[in-house]
Amino acid sequence: MEESRAQQAEVAALLGVIERMAADLALAEEPSRFIAALEAGRAAAEGAAPSA
Amino acid sequence: MTGWTVEGLATAIREGKVSPVEATQECLGRIGRLDGKLRAFITVDEVGALATARRLEAEQRRGAWRGPLHGVPLAFKDLCFIRGLPTSCGTRTSEYFIAEQDCTAVARLAAAGAVTLGKLNMTELAMGPFGDNAHHGHAQNPWRPGHCSGGSSSGSGVAVAAGLALGALGSDTGGSIRLPAAACGIVGLKPTYGLVSRAGVMPLSWSNDHVGPMARTVRDCALLLQVVAGRDPLDATSSPHPVPEYRAALSGVIRGLRVGVPENYFFQGVHPEVEAAVREAAEVIAGLSAQVSEIRLPDPQTMSDVCNIVSRSEGSTIHARLLRERPHEVQPVVRARLELGLQIPAYDYLQALRLRARLARAFITEVFAQVDVLVAPVIPEPAPPLAHATEGPVHELVVRQGRFSRLTRPFNGLGLPALSVPCGFSSAGLPLAFQVVGRPFDEATVLRVGEAYQRATDWHTRRPPLD
Repeated sequence: MEESRAQQAEVAALLGVIERMAADLALAEEPSRFIAALEAGRAAAEGAAPSA
Repeated sequence: MTGWTVEGLATAIREGKVSPVEATQECLGRIGRLDGKLRAFITVDEVGALATARRLEAEQRRGAWRGPLHGVPLAFKDLCFIRGLPTSCGTRTSEYFIAEQDCTAVARLAAAGAVTLGKLNMTELAMGPFGDNAHHGHAQNPWRPGHCSGGSSSGSGVAVAAGLALGALGSDTGGSIRLPAAACGIVGLKPTYGLVSRAGVMPLSWSNDHVGPMARTVRDCALLLQVVAGRDPLDATSSPHPVPEYRAALSGVIRGLRVGVPENYFFQGVHPEVEAAVREAAEVIAGLSAQVSEIRLPDPQTMSDVCNIVSRSEGSTIHARLLRERPHEVQPVVRARLELGLQIPAYDYLQALRLRARLARAFITEVFAQVDVLVAPVIPEPAPPLAHATEGPVHELVVRQGRFSRLTRPFNGLGLPALSVPCGFSSAGLPLAFQVVGRPFDEATVLRVGEAYQRATDWHTRRPPLD
């Protein structure tokens, strides 16, 4: 019983971030834009850091 | 020979000073002497390793050279598929299944001349940061047996630190390469998401899994990364871009590089000895003429929570059959984590994936406009006693596991390259470490910082007192 209550509490705590942060996500925001963010970061990296 | 690096041994073999068979026999002998206590390996492939070494030696006599790892003995986390060897993924049965093909990363290392010594211990299903495993034995910290090795790539950390293998592969979903590297005093690189193929590697979370090298030096990690990185048609997430020459970037010069030390999150609640060692490492880096400054980061806890929701959901999906059909075979704390994942609604999982995209974009844009790399702690405390990892009610263990990986998990969610580098020892003689985090696909700069640090220090030359 104690384990079950602890698990429910953990799930609730874990999902709190979605309640707090996801409400205003743009309609266009989709999971694949994560890869786009990495690719954009790659482009920015080229020439950004002082080279050896 | 066991004190050698991958690079040093490869050179010695090429120059005919050591043969692939001698190198392999040396490692196998050391495994035989030490692994009964250390528990780094789940499967030792003595016959296969010696056969490969003999073949490589014969090729060498004919003047044939497979590549930069010709004759170098390596070992792989037991979630890498290797043809003909069992893959347990740290579960109860050591013969979970026998793979028919090598995973892409191992295949590339073998094509470059590596000898496979065997499959390495890991936390069950790669779920857990301490390196405990009730089925295959708890991997022991070589610096202080009875203490955690870190996990989940526990055997990879132990084998390399103890000189049982010259290098290893690990996987990292929430810190599983960097945590054992830090706890065992070696170097471990979680590459950018998509840089190294995960084809043929047992997944835990498709969105957060990374495969990467572990070795004693940054130079060795660069060499191993060079071999395994790059496009693989068998992994839909692998990046199509060409791979740069990583070792060419290891100039030792970091003058003018902007290095950020986080002022929020990463030093909160961290053990004083860890904090002191990481800040001292930042001073060494500053002494190499880098511009070190403090930086306030977009809240890493948010990304950590998002990453956790995604990993839990995907891990429970991947292992749902095991959980349904053989729950009694799974350790209670692992089972609890899997069960929790089944309680996450699709709505929250999908929102987490959408949120991740926004958070990653904001982090990359904001942070890397100010600095070129970040330097932060890896483990929040020196490797704790194994009893700490295994005792107490399940819900307490779950919380403890989350705390131990809180400094690494954000960078899984962000997909950024993160390199763990040893930077000292605690008063109890346990290794301490910092991580260098860079822009997406900018492993060259991350490795350059780590290698420059290793040129200026000698922590990576220390060996655990095993002989």
